[in-house]
Formats: sequence, C-alpha cells, structure tokens
Amino acid sequence: MKNIIKIAWRNLLRYTRRTLLTSSLIALGVALVIVFGGVGNSFRSEVTGILTNSNLGDLQIHKKGYLGSMDNLPLDLAIPEKGLAAIRGILDANPDVLAYSERIRFGAMVSNFAQTTGIRLTAVAPEKESRVCPALPGRIKQGDADPAAFVKPGSVVLPLTIAAGLNLKVGDDVVLVATNKEGSVNGITFKLSGVSENIMGPQGKDGYIHLDDARSLLRIEDGEITEIAVKLRDFKRLGKVYPALKKTIAALPGAKGEAGSEVKPGKGGFETHSWEELSPFSSIARIVALLILVVRLVLVFIVLVSILNVMMMSVYERIGEIGTIASIGTPPSKILALFLVEGLSLGLFSGLLGCLAGAGILLLLQAVKLKFTFGAMDLMLAPAVPLAEMLLSLTVVVIISTLASLQPALKASRMEPVEALRHV
Amino acid sequence: MIELKDSVTRINMPLVKLENAGKNYITGEISTPALKEINLSIEAGKFISFVGPSGSGKTTLLNLIGCLDRPTSGRVFVAGAEVSAMDRKTSAKFRGENIGFIFQNFNLIPVLTVYENVEYPLIMVQNVQPEERRRRVTEMLDKVGMAEQAHKYPAQLSGGQKQRVAVARALAPRPRLVLADEPTANLDHATAYKVIGLMHAMKKEFDTTFIFATHDQKIVGEAELIYTIEDGLITETRENAAAGGKK
Repeated sequence: MKNIIKIAWRNLLRYTRRTLLTSSLIALGVALVIVFGGVGNSFRSEVTGILTNSNLGDLQIHKKGYLGSMDNLPLDLAIPEKGLAAIRGILDANPDVLAYSERIRFGAMVSNFAQTTGIRLTAVAPEKESRVCPALPGRIKQGDADPAAFVKPGSVVLPLTIAAGLNLKVGDDVVLVATNKEGSVNGITFKLSGVSENIMGPQGKDGYIHLDDARSLLRIEDGEITEIAVKLRDFKRLGKVYPALKKTIAALPGAKGEAGSEVKPGKGGFETHSWEELSPFSSIARIVALLILVVRLVLVFIVLVSILNVMMMSVYERIGEIGTIASIGTPPSKILALFLVEGLSLGLFSGLLGCLAGAGILLLLQAVKLKFTFGAMDLMLAPAVPLAEMLLSLTVVVIISTLASLQPALKASRMEPVEALRHV
Repeated sequence: MIELKDSVTRINMPLVKLENAGKNYITGEISTPALKEINLSIEAGKFISFVGPSGSGKTTLLNLIGCLDRPTSGRVFVAGAEVSAMDRKTSAKFRGENIGFIFQNFNLIPVLTVYENVEYPLIMVQNVQPEERRRRVTEMLDKVGMAEQAHKYPAQLSGGQKQRVAVARALAPRPRLVLADEPTANLDHATAYKVIGLMHAMKKEFDTTFIFATHDQKIVGEAELIYTIEDGLITETRENAAAGGKK
C-alpha cells in the first residue's frame, strides 16, 4: 500500500498545475461550506440566545389551547393555582431546570393622558424573570435595569416604540387600562420606570409590569397565571429535556376548564412548547440550515465533477503506462487501487487545504467580531471554528473523491494490456 | 519461483509450445488473420529471434506467448501451463512470476526513479521481502551498469540507458522467459550492440530464454534460432551456429 500511495502522489505531482487547480477549486468549496456553516451557526445561536435569554425562555408551559389563541392573549386560558402547584412540583424536582418564571400576559391600553394606544403586557416577578431571561434587564436602555427589581410594583417598563410614540420619559405617569376575563374594565396609574429596546418575535415589543399589579389591574384574586417560562441549566440538553418534560406536564390533570368541568387525569390540561415553536425565527433557523445543506450539495457536485474529470484525464493520458504495468504482471486490483488512492489523495489534500482556509477565515472573522442589525436586534458574529462541520466536509470530500475515481479506476484496471500497449 | 499447475509436469516439456495457434483481428465485419495455425516448440535457455516484415505477425506471436493476448484458435503453453485458457487475473499473476518484457519504447514508469522502476515488479507483483529486494535491485543495476544512475528519473536518461534499466527491470524478478519487441529500434548502432551484448550476458548468467521480435540484423545475428514469419506463417526456421557474444 505504501508503494501505491507513493506512486499515486507522484502521479498527482507530475501534473502539478492541473492538481493545484483542481485542489484549489475543491478547497474553495470546502472553505465555503465551513465559513458558511460557521457564520450560519453563529448567527443562529446568537439570535437564539437573544430570543431565549430576552423573553422566550427555553420552554414555556401554558394551559392547553393557549398557543392557538396566543395572539389574543386570552385570560380565560389561564393556569389555575392547583395546576400551577403541580407544575411547580415537577419543575422543582427536575435537575435540568435552572429557573422558571410565572407570567400573566394580557392586552391593555396605555395613555399619557392625551393619547392612548394598545400594548401587550407581560406581568412578572422581576427576580425570577431575570433568572429565566438574563438578557432582559440589559434591554432596558433607559431607567432602572436592576435584574432583581427592574420592574417594581406601581411601575411599568414600556417598549421604545410606544414610549417614543407617546413622547414619554422615565418618571412620567401613564395609565394602563385592561379588561379582565369577566369583561370588567379597570385602569391604574403607573410610573414609567424604564424603556426597553425592541427585539423580533411576538414578545419582542411587550411592556412589563409587576405580577402583583397585574393581579390588581385584572382583579385576579387567586394565584392563576397564563404562562410559565422555563430556563434550562444547559441549552444543549433541550432536545432531551423538552420531550420528557412535555410528556410529564401533559400527563397532569387539568384543573377547572372554561366550562367548569374537571379535565380527567391522563387527558392533560397543560401544554409545553420549546422556543422554536413560539418564535418565527425558528423558520429562519431552518432556512439557514437548508442553505448550509445546499452549499454542502454544491460542494459534493464540485468534488464529483472535478475529481471525475481529473481522473478520467489521468487514465486516458496513461493508457500506455497502464499497459506496461499490466503486462509486467500488476494485478487488476492493484491498478484499481492505484487510481482510487490517487483520487482519494487529491480529495484528502484538497479537503485539508479547504479546512485550513475555512478555519483561517473564521478565526479572522472571530477576531474582527462582525456587528450588524437584524430585525431590530444588534448582533455580533464571532463564529467558532465548527470542528464537526470540518470533519464532516472532509469525510464527504474523501468519500465523493473515492466514488468519483471509481469509474476511471475500474476502466484502468479492466484494460487489456495488449490494447493498452498499442496506445501511444 | 515458477508456478506450475499441479497437473502439469515440467519434465520433457518445452518452455513455450504453440499448438495450431491462430489469431484473427476483427474490425467490424472484416476478419483479418494475423497468425495462421502456428505450431512451435521452444526449449528453455535459448536466444531466439522472430524476423519478418512489418505486419507479418511477429508482435502478435510475442503477445500470445507473453499471455498478453489470447489466440482465436489453438492453444499456447508456457512453462507447462496453458496460458491461452487463463483469465485476466491468473494471466497477470503468471506473467509477473514467469515472464519479463522489454519494449521498443522502454516503457519505464516516469514517476519512479531508475531504482524504483527495477524494484517495481518485486514489490507490486512478487511481494519480495525488502532485504532480498534491495539485494536483487542493486545486483541488477550493477550488471546493467546503471548503479550510479539509480536515483535518476527516466526523463534524465538517454535511450540506451533507459533500455538498460528496462533489461534490469525485466530480469530482476528472475523470469524464465524474456520477451523483447524491437528492443533496439530506438537505439543507435553502438548502443544497440551494447544492449544486445548485455542481454546475451544476462541470458548466460541466469539461463533465461530470450525471444525477440525484430527487423534488426544485429539481433538476428546474435540469435541461436531464427524463425522467419511471413503473412502469419512461420516460413523458415534456421539455427545460427555463429551466434553468441559478438559486440
């Protein structure tokens, strides 16, 4: 085998220019896949991080049917106190759960006494909310951004667009008017304690008030809430934790439904959703993954055509030589191996070259820290070198190179020596 | 070293034997006879020449003996084995172990050095152990006077030097039979004589049978047995008493 490898490499170096041109093309393709993969993954994880750390959490639990009516923020699909206690028990016992935050989400009107506009509000306990969404206090650009008390009783945090639209400054009074689930309207005056920047997604332009204020405004006397946002200790374990938790939560019996009837045990009264099901960004993330796949397919095509072309030329140019080695007695299997190793070596060399180039470009991007705005979010791309992507690209290139060499190699190994020797 | 089938005995068997061997080349619907019903027996250890005009069938006969081609009729035996009945894999193995080839255009592998070219059949065909391989390559390069050029590539050699390397490569695996097709056609007069002398010396030293297909009177004069081939038939067989060792 050592001798076969030696001859294969020398044959590659024999046509230096052709080998380098082909290698460069394949290396470019590999580098493109790695850079695209690295940047794509960095973009995906950056946006995912912002969304999950700013407002979504990693998972959310609602009363069954809530997600379907989420745009209306229905108060009648709330998690009752009894169900909440059961869910708390499950979450407290789960070692993968770092924290969870209970929320009441509802629609309201906000007025600066001269103008009124609609607003979506999330009522939270700030300390719990900051553990689930650690980036949330950082989004409060004006006013109090203390993670433990970014929204105090009697105060409200408004999104930048509404604060600017109503010409409000931190410290100004506003009135929030809301309708509760029985249909009664109530209004309370709040002090604007902070202005938050917008991010994409359904909860990206919500205002925040304290959970106790929401109960007063909506006249909720028991402890019911509409949503529980959950933060995991390790986001990478979402794929494992989510299905298990979903199953456990779904097995809980629902408390009183809207018709006042008890949901039977085992039928499930609550539903769990991962951030992907709650954010439109998951579609973008899927598109990014699809684009990476397309680039990968283009790479496969580049490698296939390049190696096939080079190896076909190599066989046609060396027919006489093939005749010589065959007449000397080289077994057909070794002639086959000779050309396969040649194609494989070319692929391996080009793949490694591409990996190095791709890693180099990504390291450069990492050092530069590319900043840009995406859907009102300021992103900073610092793509990591995706080792798994590199390994995958290299493997794909080597396999495709070998496959592309197979036909020319078979042709060479099946040549009749006497025919090949006649070829000059 | 020579692989013989169990059923075949070496005793009283000529090294090469052709029984009514014929070869037709078919192009479209036209069948052109290149060899017609050849019967031939060649004993081991001879220096033999096939002579005849171009297209007479010399190379075709050499190809049949070298199991590079199969006859369309008749049978061909080499070292007791029926090579005309072998499949591609078996005939490749048989060639590697029993037959050496010397070509008109030298046919050295351009990416290998002189040393590596001679070593090639020992590694790729015979799997000879490294120490024995080194010994044999060095010995052969010494004998053909190419030891000092061992590190050079074929492109750096003259025609005569290339053919000496080809002789060394053909003989390094210790074949019983060497087939040479116009080995001096691309060499000048003096170099051709040197190469013929070298092959003669090798024949004596290793008791190898040499069969040439040639127009070259220099080789013809060195042959012990001369077969004249015309239109695919052996028309004359003559012994050359004066053969051997002229330079």
